[in-house]
Amino acid sequence: MALYDRRRRRNATAMVLSLAATAFGLGWLVLILFTLFYEGLSGLSLSVFTEMTPPPGGAGGLLNPIVGSLIMTAIAVAIGTPIGILAGTYMAEYGRHDKLTHVVRFINDILLSAPSIVIGLFVYEVMVAPMGHFSGIAGSMALAVIVIPVVVRTTEDMLTLVPDSLREAAASIGLPRAHMILRIAYRAASAGMVTGVLLAIARISGETAPLLFTALNNQFWSVDLNYPMPSLPVVIFQFALSPYKDWQKLAWTGALLITLAVLTLSITARILAAKRKTS
Amino acid sequence: MSVASVTAPALTATHAAVATADLPIKISIHNLGFYYGENKALKDISVSLYENKVTAFIGPSGCGKSTLLRTLNRMYDLYPNQRAEGEVLLDGKNILSPAQDVNLLRARIGMVFQKPTPFPMTIYENIAFGIRLYEPLSRVAMDERVEQSLRRAALWDEVKDKLGSNGLSLSGGQQQRLCIARTVAVKPEVILLDEPCSALDPISTAKIEELIDELKDDYTIAIVTHNMQQAARVSDFTAFMYLGELVEFDSTRQMFTAPRDRRAQDYITGRFG
Repeated sequence: MALYDRRRRRNATAMVLSLAATAFGLGWLVLILFTLFYEGLSGLSLSVFTEMTPPPGGAGGLLNPIVGSLIMTAIAVAIGTPIGILAGTYMAEYGRHDKLTHVVRFINDILLSAPSIVIGLFVYEVMVAPMGHFSGIAGSMALAVIVIPVVVRTTEDMLTLVPDSLREAAASIGLPRAHMILRIAYRAASAGMVTGVLLAIARISGETAPLLFTALNNQFWSVDLNYPMPSLPVVIFQFALSPYKDWQKLAWTGALLITLAVLTLSITARILAAKRKTS
Repeated sequence: MSVASVTAPALTATHAAVATADLPIKISIHNLGFYYGENKALKDISVSLYENKVTAFIGPSGCGKSTLLRTLNRMYDLYPNQRAEGEVLLDGKNILSPAQDVNLLRARIGMVFQKPTPFPMTIYENIAFGIRLYEPLSRVAMDERVEQSLRRAALWDEVKDKLGSNGLSLSGGQQQRLCIARTVAVKPEVILLDEPCSALDPISTAKIEELIDELKDDYTIAIVTHNMQQAARVSDFTAFMYLGELVEFDSTRQMFTAPRDRRAQDYITGRFG
C-alpha cells in the first residue's frame, strides 16, 4: 500500500511538472498573440489595404508592401516549387539508390537549416552587386532559394511513403515510369506535396533578413521587379524601429496581417494532411 | 537427399514430356538463374507454361516461387542489384534480352499481387487508365470495354451503380477482383497471380478460384499459392520448388496423388513447410 501511494504521488508530481512546463511555453505564445491582436486590431481599417505607406506623421496604409510581398512570394513559389518537385521526384523515384541522391539530400538538409540572412548575402553577391542596385527580382530569388529545400524535402518524403506495391501494380499493366509518377505516385502523394508548398509559403512570408539585402524597401508604389520593392516584413522592421507612434501602429497591423496569413496557411496544411491520413 | 536432387530433374523432364507432348507451349524457361545482389535465389530452373492451362507453383516460403513469377514480366527491372540469367521464351522470343521493351512485355503478361493494389482513382478510371495507354478507344467503346472487363472479373453487378466512386472504397475481395479486371482489360496473353487469395476471406477466395477457371479459356495462367487445396483445385500443372530449385513438375493430378520426389511428397502431405 505504501508502495502504491508513493507511485501515485510521483505520478502526480510528474504530471504537475509537465503541465506547468506546457502552460509556461504556451503562456508566452498566448501573450504574444494577445498583444498582437490588441495592438494590431485597433489599427486595422480599410485604409490599410488602400493607401501607401505614409511619411512620418501622415495618414496611410500598407498597400505597397502587401502587394510587394504577394508579388515576391508568388515569383519565389513559381520558381522554387517546380525545381523542388523535380529534384524530390528524382530522389524518390529515379535515383532512390544512387549516390547522388544521398549527396543531394545531405546538401538539402544543410540548406533547409541555413540561416536566411546567409541566403540574403549570397543573393546580394550574385545578383545585387553585379546589377548595381537592389531589386524585387533579387528578393524573389532569395525567397525561392528558401522555398526549394522545403519542397524538395516534402516531395521526397511524400513520394517515399507511396508504397512500392502501387508502383509494381502500375508497371504490371505496362505503364511507363513517367506515366506512373505523373498519374499514380503524384496523385497518391498530392495532399502531402501541397502541404509542403503551403508550409514553404508560410516560411517565406515572414522572412525579413534575406529581403533586407536584396529587395530592400520602397516607400512608394512599385511593381517593377527591376527596382527596390517594399515588403511587409521589412516595412514592419523599419516602422517598428522608428520613433513615430503612427508608424509603430502600422507595424503592429502589418505583423497581425502576416500572422493571420501564416495561421491560415498552417491550418489549411493541417487539414490537408489529416485528409491524407484518412483517405 | 543428394541422390534425389540429382535424379529428380531427369525424371521430371521425361515424365512431363510424356504428359504434355501435344500441348502448345506459351512460355518456356531454360536454365534460369536469379540473383538478389550476391544471393542466388533461383538455380537453373527449366520449365514450360502451356497455353490456356493453369500452372501452380508451390513450395515453402522463400523457395523462389514469387521470384520466378517476377522474372516472367521482368518486374525485377524496377530494382537495382537484381538480375536474371538464362532464357525465358515467350512465343519463342527471349524476353530477358535487353532489346525487349519491358512495358510492352508487361502489357502482354499481366500480374495480380498478394495484396489488392487499386490505384487512387475511381473504379472506372482504374480500368480505363491502362487501356488508354495502348488503345485510343472512343467513349462508347471504352464504356463497353470497362463493363466487359468488370464482368470478366465477376465484379460488374456489385459496382455498376458506383463506377465513379474511389477504388479504395471497395472491400478487400472486391479490390482484388478490380485488380484482376484491370489486368484483363489491357488484353494480356498471360496472367501471373502471386498469392492472389492470401489476403481474402473464403467466399472471396472461392469467387476468384471460379474466375481463374473461366479465365483459362482465354489466357495462360501461372499462380503462386501457399494453399495446397487451392493448387489442387485450380491448376492443370503443378511445379514444386524448394530452396531456389525446381524439384518436380507434373500434371496436378499426378503431383497430388503420386509425387515422385520425397520433399514434394512431404510438403504436399504437410510434413514440412
